[in-house]
Amino acid sequence: MPFWKKGGSGGDPTRLFYACDIHGSEPTYRKFLNAAKFYDVDALIFGGDLMGKLLIPIVREAGGTWRARLQGQDHHITSDEQMAEFRKILQTLGFYWQEMDPEEYLEYEGKQDRIDDLFDVLAKERLAGWIALAEERLGGTHVKVYLCGGNDDTDEVLSALEEVPGDRVVNAENRVVPLDDEHVVVTIGYSTPTPWETPRERTDPEIGEAIEKIMADVPDPSRAVFNFHCPPLDSSLDTCLKLDASVWPPTPVIENGQPVYYGAGSQSVADALASRQPTVGLHGHIHESRGMTSYGRTPAYNPGSEYGEGVLRGLIVAIRGGEVIGHQFTSG
Amino acid sequence: MAQAVAPQVFTRRASGLVRVMSPYSAFIYNILTMGIIFPWTYVWAPTAFQGSNLVLGIGFAFLFELPIALAYVWLATALPRSGGDYVFQSRVFGGGFGFTVVFAFFVVWILQWVALSGWLLAVLGFAPTLIGLGVSMENQTLINWGANVASANGIIVVSVLNALVSLVLLVSGFRNYVRFQYLMWYAILASFGVMLLLFFTTNPGEATGRLNEFALGAGGVPDFFQTAKAAAADAGVNFNPPFWLFGTLMVAPIAWTSLQWATYSVEQGGEIKNAHVFRNQFFIIVGSLIATAGLLILLAIAMGVGIGQDGILVASSGYWYGVGEATIAGTFLMPNMIAIGLTTSPILIAVIGIGYILNSFQIVCNCYIGTTRIMVAQGLDGLLPDWFARIHPKWKTPVNAHIAYFLAAIPVIVAYNKYSEWVRWTLGVTFANGAVMTLSALAAALLPYRAAKLYEASPGAKYRLGNTPAVTLIGALGFLFGAFMVGSFLFVKDLGLAFSNDAFPYYIVAGTAAFGLIVYWIMRTLKAQKGIRVEYAFAEIPPE
Repeated sequence: MPFWKKGGSGGDPTRLFYACDIHGSEPTYRKFLNAAKFYDVDALIFGGDLMGKLLIPIVREAGGTWRARLQGQDHHITSDEQMAEFRKILQTLGFYWQEMDPEEYLEYEGKQDRIDDLFDVLAKERLAGWIALAEERLGGTHVKVYLCGGNDDTDEVLSALEEVPGDRVVNAENRVVPLDDEHVVVTIGYSTPTPWETPRERTDPEIGEAIEKIMADVPDPSRAVFNFHCPPLDSSLDTCLKLDASVWPPTPVIENGQPVYYGAGSQSVADALASRQPTVGLHGHIHESRGMTSYGRTPAYNPGSEYGEGVLRGLIVAIRGGEVIGHQFTSG
Repeated sequence: MAQAVAPQVFTRRASGLVRVMSPYSAFIYNILTMGIIFPWTYVWAPTAFQGSNLVLGIGFAFLFELPIALAYVWLATALPRSGGDYVFQSRVFGGGFGFTVVFAFFVVWILQWVALSGWLLAVLGFAPTLIGLGVSMENQTLINWGANVASANGIIVVSVLNALVSLVLLVSGFRNYVRFQYLMWYAILASFGVMLLLFFTTNPGEATGRLNEFALGAGGVPDFFQTAKAAAADAGVNFNPPFWLFGTLMVAPIAWTSLQWATYSVEQGGEIKNAHVFRNQFFIIVGSLIATAGLLILLAIAMGVGIGQDGILVASSGYWYGVGEATIAGTFLMPNMIAIGLTTSPILIAVIGIGYILNSFQIVCNCYIGTTRIMVAQGLDGLLPDWFARIHPKWKTPVNAHIAYFLAAIPVIVAYNKYSEWVRWTLGVTFANGAVMTLSALAAALLPYRAAKLYEASPGAKYRLGNTPAVTLIGALGFLFGAFMVGSFLFVKDLGLAFSNDAFPYYIVAGTAAFGLIVYWIMRTLKAQKGIRVEYAFAEIPPE
């Protein structure tokens, strides 16, 4: 046992890397795992929203060619090389794909339940692969990766976290888990309601109740890292376009020719940060609201997300004795 | 396989990414920033480079800026983030270089533009408008106000108020600025249209008579134009100079002080809707460049038609040679002042005046917008204290950065207008700003090699010329053209740093660069003491 506790006052700081909202993007997730070595950190904390947003049917055509639609354009795939390149694009964008015959495609078309089931199957497969990759890449190191879901992730997919085969991946989903000798990670993946009706939305009071419940397991809030997917309300970490949810898909609310912006975060999260004064608040959910703020002594961050470009936006935080002693936004 | 189908995308319900300013608003922003109101091409170049051709000179500036603007299209789509030039250069050259160049040569030197925008508002906006209205309505009080507002103290008051109103507008929400920008846009279009109409419907003979009447009404001599022309000739103006190709080439750097700002919208790239789309950035940057260059050329042609070469040289002699006889009520004969002198209609004068006043106000706004976004980006990267990067939770704007920049601008405003030596000390402003854009063009050229993954994921990666990325060739060309113009600011006597024949202005430029480097070193050291390496902000993680 070292003379100084890791992360304790007077000892070496614990350096963690935080990222979130990668939405199925393969290269972004691989970068996330490599961040451990690249940034020389002690822990990788993921803040939710693992699942991708689109599923691209690649439909077989006569003559052995394939057809798919992506970003408003038809793609005719005529060779194995083209298929490999197309899959690579989909991986970067975080989309899933399924190769199918026209008859099979027609069995899915317009049947949302079947499509959602297929999403879950493919997303769970990808997440299971990611867990195995984490175990492989972090094996033999002291670094652990803390994974959890966000509002976009279904419970079915997140059940893959229950089947972790090794000791490098920590299922942090709605739990309190140790980070180092002194600090714990407290994770809540819910968000307040969105116009997109995502799977794990909760009302603000419900989020408040979840926080109260989980905090019962936290011995010292000042030594807690809040890994709450939803940012605090009106904090500058939660600014996004206001959408009209009365139409589908929701469209931007325009006033005087300009889009309207508002805070989409949670008051309960803001209250918890202000009253509990944890070591740090780590948040995501609103991709375009990268930034930082503070609640008393507690800094809160949202690193934002650019997963669609294969860019990993993240945050390095050094903590010691219940305090953030340094931070660095990254974009790699 | 029973039948062919046209597959669509399967969707689930999930949140979307959104941004703020529309591409059209950004296009307008760039045109206003380039300042079709900037008078320097018309009052600086003609006497500084006698025998030059304004239309050709502006054309050269357009051609030189074009590859730079195109290079920025690639950069802006590859890195559609706020803090544009800083983000580009730090990701390609490294944080130390990118921070030092953009902090020193943009954030620090654009303080001079805040002062200059106040000067523009007073001297180019209020003074001609008040004098014009006073003459047309035979109201001496307005004429006196016009003269007073262009005095040193008047300019300081106007400048500080200008900066303060802009601060309040921008702090209260970027959306408020974007709304107000439409008013500025339509006002300057109307103003410019009236000016062109007045110039195109006048000839030099008529113009001489009208300007004489106008000057007389403002308290000048009866034969104002003839007197001014004689004084200009005594001061060294040749009214029949032969065509001078090199002089015409030297007009380009002057016109470039306007056209170089075609790329300025990249500083708020993170707030432009669909900023990563190639055709949007092409429209915003290259489109605004084409539009502005066209308008500047049109004005040069119109002035040639309306007041002739003699009129242009007389107006220029008042500004560049300081010929007092070639001013009216102490105000330089800027293009709008001349246009105002050509009409007796208070309505037309007001239309011209309001456009110039609002566009002058936009200049201080864009100073704030661009530099505060850079400061936020540098704060997020850990190279400025976190305080600068804070976004106000209610107004969603970088309030701290705005306030800091306003406070920093106050002494610059006072010094600019009160201390005669200040202008000599700050001759490097054209060099410094131009250097940032030139180096960003180089960053574009090197993007495929220095930030390969980033480049490969960008929409511009598909454009190649043979085996070479198109952006490399275009960026290299832009860098060469930019270096030519920046070099002109360094070494050509009538263009910038060499003007005062001493080394002090060069020391000031070097001093600001050293200041930037020192800030970088201090922040890097402080961060390292907290277990953080700032270099991580610029590094790209390999996925494998």
